[in-house]
Amino acid sequence: MRLPFEELLKVLLGEVYARRNAVLTMFVFISLIMLAVGTVWPKKYTASAIILADDSNILQPLMQGTAEATHVTDYAANATEIILGEKIMGKILHDAEWMKANPTELEQAKIKEQIKKRVKISNLGNNLLKIEYEDSDPTRAYVTAKRMAELFIDEGEKSKTKESQAAYDFIERQVNEYLAKLTKVEEELRKFRSNNPDSRVGLEADVSNRISRLQTDIEQAKMALREALIKKDSLQEQLSGEAAITISQSREGQYRSKIADLQTKLETLRLDYKETYPDIIRLKHQIEDLKQAMQEEVHQREEARNVAKNSGKPYIDEAIILNPLYQQLRSDASATETQIMTLKARISEMNKMLETQYDRARKIHDNEAALSKLTRNYQVNQEIYQDLLRRRERARVSKSLDQENQGLTFKIQEPAKIPLLPTGLRFMHFALAGLVLGMVIPIGLIYVMLQIDPRIRFSKIISDDLGLPVLAEINQITSYSEERSEKINNIILSIVFLLVISVYAYISWLKFTGQL
Amino acid sequence: MSKIEDALNKARATRKNAGSGELRAVHDRSNVRDLIPGSNNDSYEINHNTSSKEIALIDNGEILDNKKLSELKVIYSEMKDHKVANSYRDLRTKLIQKSQGRNFIAMVTSCVPGTDSSTTALNLSTAFSFDKSKTSLLIDCNLNSSRLDAILGLDADVGLTDYLENEDITVEDILKKTGIKRLKMIPAGTARETSTEYFTSLKMRKLIADLLSRYSDRYIFIDSPPIAESADTRILVELCDFVLLVVPYGKATKSRIKDAAEAIGEDKLLGVVFNDIPKFPRLRIPGFSTS
Repeated sequence: MRLPFEELLKVLLGEVYARRNAVLTMFVFISLIMLAVGTVWPKKYTASAIILADDSNILQPLMQGTAEATHVTDYAANATEIILGEKIMGKILHDAEWMKANPTELEQAKIKEQIKKRVKISNLGNNLLKIEYEDSDPTRAYVTAKRMAELFIDEGEKSKTKESQAAYDFIERQVNEYLAKLTKVEEELRKFRSNNPDSRVGLEADVSNRISRLQTDIEQAKMALREALIKKDSLQEQLSGEAAITISQSREGQYRSKIADLQTKLETLRLDYKETYPDIIRLKHQIEDLKQAMQEEVHQREEARNVAKNSGKPYIDEAIILNPLYQQLRSDASATETQIMTLKARISEMNKMLETQYDRARKIHDNEAALSKLTRNYQVNQEIYQDLLRRRERARVSKSLDQENQGLTFKIQEPAKIPLLPTGLRFMHFALAGLVLGMVIPIGLIYVMLQIDPRIRFSKIISDDLGLPVLAEINQITSYSEERSEKINNIILSIVFLLVISVYAYISWLKFTGQL
Repeated sequence: MSKIEDALNKARATRKNAGSGELRAVHDRSNVRDLIPGSNNDSYEINHNTSSKEIALIDNGEILDNKKLSELKVIYSEMKDHKVANSYRDLRTKLIQKSQGRNFIAMVTSCVPGTDSSTTALNLSTAFSFDKSKTSLLIDCNLNSSRLDAILGLDADVGLTDYLENEDITVEDILKKTGIKRLKMIPAGTARETSTEYFTSLKMRKLIADLLSRYSDRYIFIDSPPIAESADTRILVELCDFVLLVVPYGKATKSRIKDAAEAIGEDKLLGVVFNDIPKFPRLRIPGFSTS
């Protein structure tokens, strides 16, 4: 059943009073033990430094894409690695004056382990880093925390610079490598070009152009040749049908045509006039004259021909003149003949050229493959080289960023301070805990006893649980002598209690004044 | 019979000598008393209305002083720790209310073997004797482990068992002065064998009826051994008007109390006296008191 608090308290107080000797004994033991523990408990001083990892500086937006700022995400883990590394630990050991006692290597290692255990490095929010160090000596705690922060920042910057330098160096090496490759390919290309002077880009097209032009020319020439041959045949034909000399064009012919002319006139006149018409007569005479002259001419020519025949001398008939058409044809034919010859020569020449061009084209194909290979190599190398050059420039900027401490920077946000008050459990805590526990533990034990002891201590249980009327609740009777001894007992207890308190006060005073 | 009469006469004579009035009136209550034959009743001259004056004149023998009482853990009216005395007074008032003003015989027994109810019985009867108009008689029935005479420092040469065994011993012989005003006591006696037989005897019944009916302002308390360990107590229950069960603080478990209550029986058990409660001296807590 649930008992009212008042009832419980009453019974508890009664029980505590009844067991006051045991309670006080426990109090004395517990409080004095706690006091003793508190007195010998080592003081611990914690010094802490806060480091700001500033990765969002003014340069970042400006250099976006150009330089890669060094990124660090888990600062605490990284910092722990760096700070607890041999390099910094060695310096700490020296700076925090551990080395004064000239520890051996083994001792040094042990000291380092101890220091490592007492260091706490934690992230405070996104970019704050807290380095805490705990030591029994406040000055040493301060020096260690301070030096850790400083060395960490130094080391961080160094390693950062180193990192970007390494990146730069790597890219630089790559650039040089590719430059060498490129130069080599260029040299090969140059050699190839000088070995194959006509092999240049577009040569194949050139050659094929020429071939097709030659072919066209040959075709045309052949056509012209055929034309010329036909022309020659027709000219031959014409020549054979044409007299080489023409008589009509001789004097005889002239006379005849004059006679014919006059005859025509005479005929015309006869139509109107009588034979006796003077004009007709004159005309008749003229005709007569002309006929005579003509006969003379023929005769003369016969005679000359005979003379020439006899003397064997070529006879040149002055009356005979060369036929102009024949002449014309003859010259044409000869011209055609010449043209034919020319064309033939040209065709064969052009065929020869075509052959050469074909040879050349074949050669060009072979060269083209070699050239394109070389060119491809060259192009690839050149691209990579140029890309690397760009990268190298970016790396150079990153490097100088780091050198100028403009990338991810660590700053001491809050420097370590000399801790004035010890942290953790202090004497005061033990002292207070001793007093409180000294009272709480025995009373708590009695309370627990009340809770678990089945024997009845509450009249309410008798009346409520058992249904028996409780007629009277009677306290213990204390006799005079008991009262007296109780009084004495209480005085002793008070003295003991006051003694404990005095011990507390004294020890606290010693602690406070630093004598203990 | 003659012995009792003698004793009664002697007592009467003493009282008369001291200026007391005539003993008269008849007691008609209690089953115990009904056991007494009418002839016997008639033969007594019983004073039911003893005045305070008369009681005051009773020879109490050597009166124990407060210091002595305190050492004996017996209450007294000028006690410093008046709370205990008041508790007993309250209990007395309650009992008188229950008995509707008539005198009674009540048994006080403990529910825990090994604990005695003697102090409670003694103090309760003492509380009755505080009232100048009342006397009380304490009968020690702890035949095997009587403590009362030791407490009171009585020279118990004869007691209840002697009286029950020996025809020669009168009631007057065993009625002892206690050193407390208006409180007399019958010690357990010296002969302590087969005690059960004593209490079942007619003589015992008659004695109780006699004691009860003799003075109407006499309240009789029987101190008996813890009920769980004694057959005597169970028998004595029959002889009493009611029983008070003493439950000592922090000693009795629920089941033990229950067993004791059952052994006594519902009709006889008047209630529980929860005693021996440890106290925290003079503590004042604002809001509630520890009283």
